Amino acid sequence: MRHWLLLLAVALPLRAQLARPVASYDIRASLNAASHTISGEQTLEWVNDSPDTAPTLQFHLYMNAFRNSRSTFFRESGGQLRGDRAAEDGWGWIRVDSMKLEDGTDLTPRLQCISPDDGNPDDCTVAEVALPAPVRPGASLRVSMRFTTKLPKVFARTGYRGDFHLAGQWFPKIGVWETKGFRYSEKSGWNCHQFHANSEFYANYGDYRVELTVPSRFVVGATGEMVKRSDDAKRGLSTYVFVQPSVTDFAWTAQPGFLRFERVFEAAKQTTQEEVAAAARLHGISLEEARLSDVKMIALIQPEHAEQTERHFRALSTALKYFGLWYGRYPFRTITVVDPPYGAGGAGGMEYPAFITAGTSYRLPEDVLMLEIVTVHEFGHQFWMQLVASNEFEESWLDEGFNTYSTGKIMDKVYGGTALPLAVFGKNTWSWLRLPKLTQASLDRAAHVGYPVRDPLATRAWEFYDGSSYSVSSYSRTGVALRTLEAVLGEDTMARVMRSYQQRWRFRHPHSRDFQQAAEEVSGRNLDWFFSQFVFGSRRLDYAVSEIRNRKLETPVGVFEKEGKSETVTAKEARRRDEELARKGEKPQYESWVKVERLGDAVVPQEIEVRFRDGHIERRSWDGTGRWAKFTFTRAAEIESAAIDPGRKYALDVNQANNSRKAAYNARLSTEWTLRVLFWAQNAMLWLTALV
Amino acid sequence: MLPLIAFWSGLGRAWRRKRMLALYWFFHTLCALGAALPLMAAAVPQLGRSRLGDELMRQFDLAWLAEIFAAAGEAAAPSAIFAALVAATTLLLGAVFLAGGAVPLLARGEEPYSPEEFWRNAGRNFWPYLRLSLYSLFCYAAAFAAAGLLRRGAEALWGEGLEAKPLVLAGYARLALLVVLFGLISTAMDFAKVRLALSGTRQSLRACLGSLWLVWRNPGVAFWLWACFAASGAALAYAYVELAARLETRGAAWLAPLVLWQQAYVLARIWLRFAAWGAAAELDPILRPLPAPEPAPAPAPAEAADYQI
Repeated sequence: MRHWLLLLAVALPLRAQLARPVASYDIRASLNAASHTISGEQTLEWVNDSPDTAPTLQFHLYMNAFRNSRSTFFRESGGQLRGDRAAEDGWGWIRVDSMKLEDGTDLTPRLQCISPDDGNPDDCTVAEVALPAPVRPGASLRVSMRFTTKLPKVFARTGYRGDFHLAGQWFPKIGVWETKGFRYSEKSGWNCHQFHANSEFYANYGDYRVELTVPSRFVVGATGEMVKRSDDAKRGLSTYVFVQPSVTDFAWTAQPGFLRFERVFEAAKQTTQEEVAAAARLHGISLEEARLSDVKMIALIQPEHAEQTERHFRALSTALKYFGLWYGRYPFRTITVVDPPYGAGGAGGMEYPAFITAGTSYRLPEDVLMLEIVTVHEFGHQFWMQLVASNEFEESWLDEGFNTYSTGKIMDKVYGGTALPLAVFGKNTWSWLRLPKLTQASLDRAAHVGYPVRDPLATRAWEFYDGSSYSVSSYSRTGVALRTLEAVLGEDTMARVMRSYQQRWRFRHPHSRDFQQAAEEVSGRNLDWFFSQFVFGSRRLDYAVSEIRNRKLETPVGVFEKEGKSETVTAKEARRRDEELARKGEKPQYESWVKVERLGDAVVPQEIEVRFRDGHIERRSWDGTGRWAKFTFTRAAEIESAAIDPGRKYALDVNQANNSRKAAYNARLSTEWTLRVLFWAQNAMLWLTALV
Repeated sequence: MLPLIAFWSGLGRAWRRKRMLALYWFFHTLCALGAALPLMAAAVPQLGRSRLGDELMRQFDLAWLAEIFAAAGEAAAPSAIFAALVAATTLLLGAVFLAGGAVPLLARGEEPYSPEEFWRNAGRNFWPYLRLSLYSLFCYAAAFAAAGLLRRGAEALWGEGLEAKPLVLAGYARLALLVVLFGLISTAMDFAKVRLALSGTRQSLRACLGSLWLVWRNPGVAFWLWACFAASGAALAYAYVELAARLETRGAAWLAPLVLWQQAYVLARIWLRFAAWGAAAELDPILRPLPAPEPAPAPAPAEAADYQI
C-alpha cells in the first residue's frame, strides 16, 4: 500500500493531463550481474476498459525472441539486425515461474505459447492463459507473477555486454484488448503480436512502480523518477525505486562505469517569450498552454565519451524545446539518455518511455551529427510512440516515420546539415574538403528515390517486401511524404495538423485514418488523393517536362480570302513583309509549346511554370490525370525554360531533374560538370598508378 | 641530407622532361575519360537541360545522385563496372609501358629527350616492369597482412572490452604502419625500376629483392626520401583544396582559372611521380656502388721469362 501511495504522490500533480491507467505494474527485480539474469516478481493490475468480457489474458514474453534460432524474430532477421550479429553464446529467454490470481488461483499450468501472427510453433514470444472466470466490462484483475529473465548478449536493442546491462522488453507484459470497431478490429480480442525483427511497441498505459536491486557498484538509470535508494552494505547490494505514471513500458540500465550527469531543462530560459507567443498564435492556444515545463535531464555517459556530455544535453534540450513548442509540452518530469559502451551499439538508438539510448563513438568529430540525430530522434519517440501510442507493429509509419519527419525538421532548423566521418588519424576532413553538408531532408529523399516503391506506408511491419522496404517506407519515405503534405498544405497548416493530431490522440491509440481525419479537419481539404495513393497505396510519383519548341511566326504563304477577294502571297512577298516589319522595329512573334508527361502511376494536380526570354513568366495548372499535356503560347519571345512543380512541393517525385527543361542545351554547365568528374577520375587514376 | 639532395635532384630531373610529363598527363586524362564517360553520359546531358544543374552547382544534393542511379537502373551497373575495369586495366598496363620509357631517361639525367629512345625503352622494359609490378603486389599484400596482424592483436587484447579508445589508437598505429610500409615498398620499387633500366637486364625478381634489401639496409635514407615526397604531396593537396575552394565561390567567371588550377594540380602530381624515379636514380649509385673493376693481371717479370727459357 505504501508503494502505491508513493506512486500516487508522484502521479497526482500530473494526473489531470495524463492517461487513465489500464495496465499498471508493481515490479521487484534483482539483477545477477554474473549470470546476466533478472529474477522478478510483479503484480499486474489490469482494467477491462472495454464493453466486452475477456475470457483470457495474453502476454508478451519478448525475451524469448532470443531463445533460439527458430523464433520468429530470428527467422525474420536471420540473426542480425542493424548491422549487428547475434553471438552464438548469447541466447536470452524469459520464463514465467508462477502466475496467480489475487484469490490464490494458480494459472501457471494454463499458460501456453501462441503465435497469432505466423503460426510458428517454435515461437514463444506471446503466451495466453485461460481465466477461470472471464473479466467483466469495467472490472479489474490483479495477477501476481514470478519470472526469470536471461538477458542475451547485446545485438538487437537489449541485453548485456561485459558489465553493461540494458533491460528492455524484460518482463511479462500484457497485450491490448481491442473491442470490435476499435482501430481496425473486426472482432473483439487481444492485440498481442509476436516479437518481429522490425517492431515491438503497442501497449496500454499504466502506472509503474519498479524496485530494482543491483550490486552497489552499478550506476542505474530507468524510466521515470528515482524516489528511493537503499543500500545493503553487508550484501553489497543497492535497491532503487522508480515510479512513472501513464507510460506504456519500462526499461532500465545498469553499469558500474557510467558517468552520471544531471541538468535541468529550464523552460523559461530555453524558450523566449516571442517563441512561446508565436506558438500560441499559430495554434490558437493560450500562452499558458504553449509554455513548456522544466524537465530533469539525466545522462549516463561512458567515460571515454565524457567530452561529449554537453552535446547530449544540448540535443536533448533542443528536442524538448521544439517538440514541446510544436506538438505540446513534454508532460513527464525526467528524461534519461543512455550512452551504450563500445560493442553494445545494438542497444543504442532505442526508445522507451522517459528513457532513451543514444549512440556515439570515441572522439566523434564535432561536425558529424550522428549523436545529435540519434538523441533527437529517440527523444521524439516520446511523442510518436509513447504519448501517441499508435500500433508500431501494424502501422510503423505513424511512429518511426512521423518521428523521422519531426527529427529532420529540428535537425535542419537548429543544426543545419551533417558531415560524414572521413577521418584521418582522428581528424575529420569532410569539412576541410568543402564537401557538402547533408541535410535530413536530402538524406531522406535520397533513400526514398534510391529504393523502389514496393509497399504502402501503412503496411504491417513483418509484411513488407523486405527489410529495406520496411526501413525506407517506415522512416525516410514517410518523412518525404509528410514534407510533401506540408508543402501542399503550407507550413503553418501542417504545424496545426501535427499538433492537433498529437493533442487529440495523446495517451490514446490512433490509426492512420485518425491522422487523415485530423489533417482534413484542420486544413479543411479533402486529402483522400494523398492518403489513398501514398499511404494506403504504393503509387510512384514522377512528372517530367519532355519537350519545348519555339517556332517563329512568319507571314503565311498561299491563297487567302481577304475582304471577299482572293489573294496569293508568294514566299518572296512573305519575306518582304517580314523584313518590313523588322525594319519598323516590330518584334517577331513565336508560337511555342511545352509538353509535360506523367511517367509514374501517381496522379497529382500540377502547376507548370514557363519562363520566356524577355523575362515574362506564365503559369498553368494541370490536373495531372492524363499521360501527357501540351501547353501552347504565342508571344513576342521564345520560351527559355519550363518547369513542372516549380516550387518542388512534391518531394515524393522520384526524379526532380526531369521536372524542368531548358529550350537550349546549357553547354557551359555540362562542360563544367564534365570537367569536375574528369578531375576526380584523373586523381583516382593517379592513386592507382602510384602503386605500379 | 642525402635524401633531401636526392629529392631536389629528382625534381630537377623531372622538370627537364616536360614532354614526358605532357604525355603522362594525356594518357591519364584519356583513361579518366574512359572511366568517367558512362557516368557523364547518364548524368550530364540531363543536367545541361535541367534547371537543377545550376542549383546543384551552388548546393550539391545527394538525392540527385540517387535519382541518377535509380534512373539508370540495376541493368546499368554491370556496364558501368565493365567500363571502369577496362579503364583501370588499360591504365595499369599503359602506366607500366610508359614507365619503361620514362625511367631510363630520368635515370640518365643529362641525356637529351628523344621520342625514338623513349618508345624503344618503353617496349624493351615493358615485360620486366610488368613482372616487377606483380611482385610489388605481393609486397603490398604483405604490408596489408602485417597491418591485419596488428588489428587482430588489438581485437584479441581489447575487442571484448567496453572501450573503443585502445582499438582506435591501435587503428591509428595500424594506419601509420600501413602508410609507411606502402611508402617504403613504393620507394623500393622505384629503385628496382632504375636498377633494371641502368643495368639493361631483364631480371625483375632480382631487381625487386635487391631493392628491398637496399631499402632494408638504408631505412633512414629510404624513409626520409619517401617523407619528402609525402610531405610535398600533402602540401600540394592542401594548396589545391584551399585555392580551389576560393575559386569555386567566385562564380562561373572563374571556371577557367579553376580548371587550369585542377590540371596544374594533376600535372604537379605527375611531376612528383617522375621526381621519385629521378631521386631513386640519384641515390642508386651512392647506395649501391658498382663493384670495382677487377685488377688487370700484372705483367710477368722479364727475368723470370729469361729464367724459364
